[in-house]
Parts: sequence; C-alpha cells; structure tokens
Amino acid sequence: MKFVVKQLTKGVPRLGKLIELNGKPNITLQTPLVMLHTQGGQVPHITHEVLKLVSNNPHILQIPLVSVHNFKEAMDYFDGAINEFIGSEESICCLTLHDPSNLTQQGFNAKGKVPVWTKNGKVQYNSESYMKTVESFRPDMYHLLSDGDTNQSSTQKRISKAVANTNAFHKECLEIHRTSEKLKDCLIIAPIAGGYSISQRKDCLESILKDDDEVGGYLIDGLHNNGPEVEFLPFSDIEPIVKYSIDKLPAEKLRTIQGCWNPLTIIKLVKLGVDIFDTSYCRMLTERSAAMTFPIDGTEDSVTYEINLRQLRYLDDFQPILIGCQCPACLKYSRGYIHHLLSVQELLGPVLIMIHNIHHFLRFFEKIRRCIDEDCLSQLETRIEIYFTRYQQEILLPQKEPVVNDTIY
Amino acid sequence: MNVKNKPLLFTILAECNSSKARVSKMQLPHGVVDTPVFMPVGTQGTLKGILPEQLEKLDLQIMLANTYHLGTKPGVDILKKAGGLHKFMNWNRNLLTDSGGFQMVSLLKLAEITEEGVKFQSLNEQKSEVMLTPEHSIEIQNAIGADIIMQLDDVVKTTNPDKERIEVSVHRTTRWLDRCLSAHQREQDQNLFPIVQGTLYEDLRKISAKDLIQREVNGYAIGGLSGGESKEEFWRIVHLCTDLLPKDKPRYLMGVGFATDLVVCCALGVDMFDCVFPTRTARFGCGLVMNGQLNLRSKKYEKDFKPIDEECECDTCQKYTRAYLHCIVTVIPVACHLLTIHNVTFQLRLMKGIRNSITQGNFPKFVADFMLKNYPDKNYPKWIKESLSTVNINLH
Ligand SMILES: [Zn+2]
Ligand SMILES: [Zn+2]
Repeated sequence: MKFVVKQLTKGVPRLGKLIELNGKPNITLQTPLVMLHTQGGQVPHITHEVLKLVSNNPHILQIPLVSVHNFKEAMDYFDGAINEFIGSEESICCLTLHDPSNLTQQGFNAKGKVPVWTKNGKVQYNSESYMKTVESFRPDMYHLLSDGDTNQSSTQKRISKAVANTNAFHKECLEIHRTSEKLKDCLIIAPIAGGYSISQRKDCLESILKDDDEVGGYLIDGLHNNGPEVEFLPFSDIEPIVKYSIDKLPAEKLRTIQGCWNPLTIIKLVKLGVDIFDTSYCRMLTERSAAMTFPIDGTEDSVTYEINLRQLRYLDDFQPILIGCQCPACLKYSRGYIHHLLSVQELLGPVLIMIHNIHHFLRFFEKIRRCIDEDCLSQLETRIEIYFTRYQQEILLPQKEPVVNDTIY
Repeated sequence: MNVKNKPLLFTILAECNSSKARVSKMQLPHGVVDTPVFMPVGTQGTLKGILPEQLEKLDLQIMLANTYHLGTKPGVDILKKAGGLHKFMNWNRNLLTDSGGFQMVSLLKLAEITEEGVKFQSLNEQKSEVMLTPEHSIEIQNAIGADIIMQLDDVVKTTNPDKERIEVSVHRTTRWLDRCLSAHQREQDQNLFPIVQGTLYEDLRKISAKDLIQREVNGYAIGGLSGGESKEEFWRIVHLCTDLLPKDKPRYLMGVGFATDLVVCCALGVDMFDCVFPTRTARFGCGLVMNGQLNLRSKKYEKDFKPIDEECECDTCQKYTRAYLHCIVTVIPVACHLLTIHNVTFQLRLMKGIRNSITQGNFPKFVADFMLKNYPDKNYPKWIKESLSTVNINLH
C-alpha cells in the first residue's frame, strides 16, 4: 500500500490517495477519507450485504482489536486474512486498538502492558502478544501498540508514562514486524502519545520519527479516552497539539486521528492537514436514535442539524429522514415508520438510521474532497457551523421535546 | 361474486399420486404465492432487522403480521394515515394478519372471553378494560390492509379437556365469523379466512368445519393446534380437517413451522403455514439445517470454517463461516440479521423442494429422503410413520 499526496504541504487541507493496495491493484482511495468503524467485523447494525446497498465503493474497515480479540483462536487456524474471515474480502482492513465509539476505561496501564476492555473483561496486551495477533489477522494496515490513555485532565506523570510506554511499544513492535514474513506488505501506522503537553509530544515525536522509513503513517493518539464525549471536545483545546504534531510529521506520510468528532471539528482538522478519520460518530448518533440532517450541498431540504426520531412529533410524519437524500433509507422509509420501529424496539430501527448516517457521512467526506479541490472548504465550514451552533443551543434548552417510551409486551 | 374481482384465485397445478399433497398458485392482490408456503412472522411490521428489499431478493412472497401488536402500536389512526401496512413498511408483496385474539389470550393473563368478544386489561397507563370484538378486530385488520385476514375466534387451549367449553367455542367461533363477515369493509381486496375450531374432538371439528364451509369465503384455517397436544393427536386432527375442508380452496394450518411437521402436514394436504420459530431461533444463535439446527454459540464451531449449510445459497452461507458466526452470535445485532437471512432462506428452500417434488411426481421419495436425513438410524417416531402411511407414504 502506498500513500501519495497531491501537494507536499504542512498545515493545510490536502488531497491524497492510497494506491497499490494488497491484492487490489485497481483500487484507489482518495483522502481525506473516513474509515468505516466496525464491531466484530461489521459496521454496527449493517451487514456487509446491506452496506453494499449504501455504497458500492471500496472502503477501509477500522477493526478495533477490543471487538475482535475473541477471533484469535479461530484466526490462528483460518487460512486467510481478517477481511476474509469477517466476510468482506473486498474491503481493506485497518487493525486498531480501542473502540472509538465506546469510552475506554482509564488506568491499569502497567509498564509493558496495555489493558483492552473486552466484553469478557480486561485483557492485557504486550508487544509480543499484540504482534502475534496482528500476524494472525494479517490486516492491510495496523496501529502499533500504544499507550493513549491520556486526556485533558491527565497529570504530567501519567503523560510521561504514556510517552515512555508508547516509545517502548513502538520499538518492540517494529522489531517483530521487521522479521515477520506475513506482515511485509502491511502498512504501519505509528501512534504518537503525549496528551496535551507540547514538550511530551516533542519527546515522543523525536523518538518515533527515527523509524520514519518503515512507517506509512501516524496516529495522533492520546487526545481523549474515546466514546461520546469526543463529540463536544472543543476544537480550540486540541488545536495546538494537532498543529504542533502535524508540523513535525513528514508531509508525505498519512496523518490519522480517531474518535467521534463532530463534522465541524472534522473540517477544522482537515484544514490542519489530517487525512484519515472514522465513522464512530455515525454509530454514536444511531445509538441515541439520531440522524444527521445538516445539508451537504444544495439538494437537501433541511433546517436542522440532526433529528431524534424518538421524538413524538415524528409519530405521523411520513417524510423521509432528510428530504432530498438518496440513501436506501430515505428513498423508501418514513420518519413515522422508523419512529414506530424505535418505539417497539425492533432491530430495523437502528438499521435504517445507520444506513442514512453512513451514507450522509460518506457524502460529507466526498464534499470535503471536492471543496479542497475547488478551494472552498471554508464555505462548507461556515454553512455547517450555522446548523451546528443552533443545534448546540437547542440541546442546552431546559425544556426537552417529548420522546416515545419503550413498550414491552 | 364476479370471479374476475375475487382477491384470491387458487389454482391447483399438481397433486401427489399417493398422498394429499398438492402444488397450487394462489393469486393475491400483491402477487402470486406458490403453495405449499411457509410465512415468516413479522410481528410489528418488520422482520428481525431485515430490509424488505432483502426479503424480496430471497423471493419471499408473503409474510405475517400481528394485529394485536399493530393495533396497539402504531395504532389504527397512524396505519390509516400511512395508507396501510404495505406502504408503511415498504413491503409490496402479500401480507396476512391474525385476528389478535390468540395473541391476547396467550399474552395477557387477564383476558376473559364473553359472547361480546375478548375482554382484557389494556397495557396503557390507564389500565382500562378494553374489549376486542369481532367487529373491532376486522376494523383494525381493514386498516392494516393485509391480503388475507383472519376471523376472531374463540380460542381454547388444546390441553383443556372441558368438552362443554370447547363446544361453546365452536359455535361461538361460527357466530363470530358471521359478525366478522358483516363488519368486513374491504371484500374486494382482502380475503377473510374462517378458523376451524374444536381442539382434539373429532365430532366438534366436524361440526365446526361443516358450519364454516357454508359461508362464502376464499380459504380456511385450521386453528387450535400446536398448543401442547401430543403429535399423535395433532396429525389426526390435521388429517381430519383437510378431509373436511373443500379441495378447491387453500388450507392454512396456524402456528406450525418445524421442518418435519411441515413435510408431514404437506402430505396431509395443508397449503399454508406460519411460525415464529425460524426467526426466533436465529435470535438465540441457531441456524437451521435439513436435519435440525446448529447452535452456533457452541464451542465446537470455533474452528469450523464451513458455512452453516453447504447446499444453501443464501448470502450468509456464501460469505460467512460457522467459526465467524460463533464469534459474533448474541454479541452484535448483525449476527441475528445474518442467521435470520439463512433461516428464512432455509424454510423457503424446504418448501420449494416440497413443491418441486410434488410437481415432478416424486414427493413420496422426497419425504423418505428427508426423514432418513433426520433419522439416519431409521428410528422414525411412531406419529411420523403412522401419519405418512395413512396417506400412502411408507417409511421402511
Ligand atoms: Zn438518507
Ligand atoms: Zn444459508
């Protein structure tokens, strides 16, 4: 796999492409791009078959280890890579550590070990056991093991430990990677730790950049502990760190960031030069029965940023989620039907919302790329900001709209 | 009635030379249904997270929805505003709704049956007493707009030995049928089916069938079975009812869906079936195969890289191994979708196999092969041997 940037620039929005993908020579992926966040190898609520109804383009699946750690037993015997095992041979897989849509439990980072909080409790990974899993899964790309357990309130002590751990994991994992025949075509993403401390980021970057030759891209890690809180993390808080890191990173390498960032923050991060995001935001919205309705281009008819389909006002609303949207959910199903499905806790409710959210988010990224190309990203930012600000004000109102209660028969 | 405008045209295409099995085409307002047919149950106007587009791809021709649930939520007003359930749920093929009576009697302990209807305490906050009358059941079913609707019947548990009570239910069911027929507002596009009652008493079944077949309707259901009676009692009543009901109309056996039961009851001349089993068992991580079901939660599938069923052509079997499904069943909702796709496909494939073998004149061989797969040691249960030999299919 190879990454090619259109212009070798530092802190500006940039277009690039991923080419020469393993076994998929004819596929090109354009950046900035959004990886499809998965759990157990599937986009939440959407089978690979339904995903094809949403988008027929090739995608990178983000596979958090935490959601597939129980696959290891089978994968050790399986004659194939993780994309084949999960039934999506046509996809490109990126193995990551934590699930960006769920809050990662803090603490428990012992020296040389990273805790992963699975359904069956805590599982400790060290460089060796982690790389064994990577070798067994053979993803197209993966994150090296890291200690990203820092956030805005982390102590200096915790941050410096995170950096020391990450530097050590980096070296150990790379060493194993070098000797691995199975991983020789596998693209490495190296996480950068250091919380909100510039000096710690500096230390980490200096150490990790020594191996730049072997690395395909970098993850700006340690900004948060995942989960819904990331949505409202103020951009001004993360800006200095992201800006500083990107400034130090080589321009020809991928820059990735994880988490449920809201669309406005995503545009701002793109403007700083970030190339890869993920769709965990779509899952988070879907779990709270919300659908994105902010307009992307002139074809939609909407005054809202997002709508919550549990609200009673949708009971007899037979319009689609977003008028003008061409997704399979909006073309054939109404808000009223989805409201009904949610109120009786039927599985199809989140399926339809997720179909729309994924479709909308993919379109949003297409639009971002087009705007960079046409040099009008700021217009898009301004437009979305109006919707987002209004939405933020509304959710702060004391009076909430009535929503339907769950019925249990 | 003008034949042209009949919302149900039933044409028998082939009959088995030995048994009572037959293949027919049932033309309904939302397309043709090939019978014998299995109808999966989409209780609340949806089937276990599967898009109607996907169900069409499986060539599903008809599914069932429950009147009691839909009448409660979203309710008649919303369904009317939406233009009926077909439009509301984006399903342009056929639907069948039950009357709601059985659901209430089985779900609500406090239901009480009087001549007026079924009285029960509502689940809403007021806990008010509500009455489901034959007229009200039909009103809801008219709003839902299914292609086949069912009369409200007086359901008595098959295990209830009180013959007097059952006799009352038989006559009351006929009286309720007449009330349903006069309340029915959409004869031009909805078929109202009566339900033969009488639990396990042959004489009462005869009275019930004799009364019901005098009404002008397009098909009949056999009710009050599959409720805990022995298989021995079960098949004898099915056999009796298919003899009593007219040959030129579809016969629907309610609540039956296990593979062996389907095969036997097709031999006994039943045309339509429904059951929650295939979709419910999917939720618990079970995949259906010709000789039973695989519980994919079991550790023995951990390193099994075969599909659920090597002969199955569904998307799930084309792409996913038992080992992968083992990793995700009951962990992520998508696993339920994948198993539902397979299980519905399995039921449709079984019914297609039955139809093809009847058409090709080798249904008895199909039955024998199927039973051998299920009982490789030929230790056939007595009821299977007896029921089949009654219709001239002998297992050796
Ligand atoms: Zn849409
Ligand atoms: Zn299958």
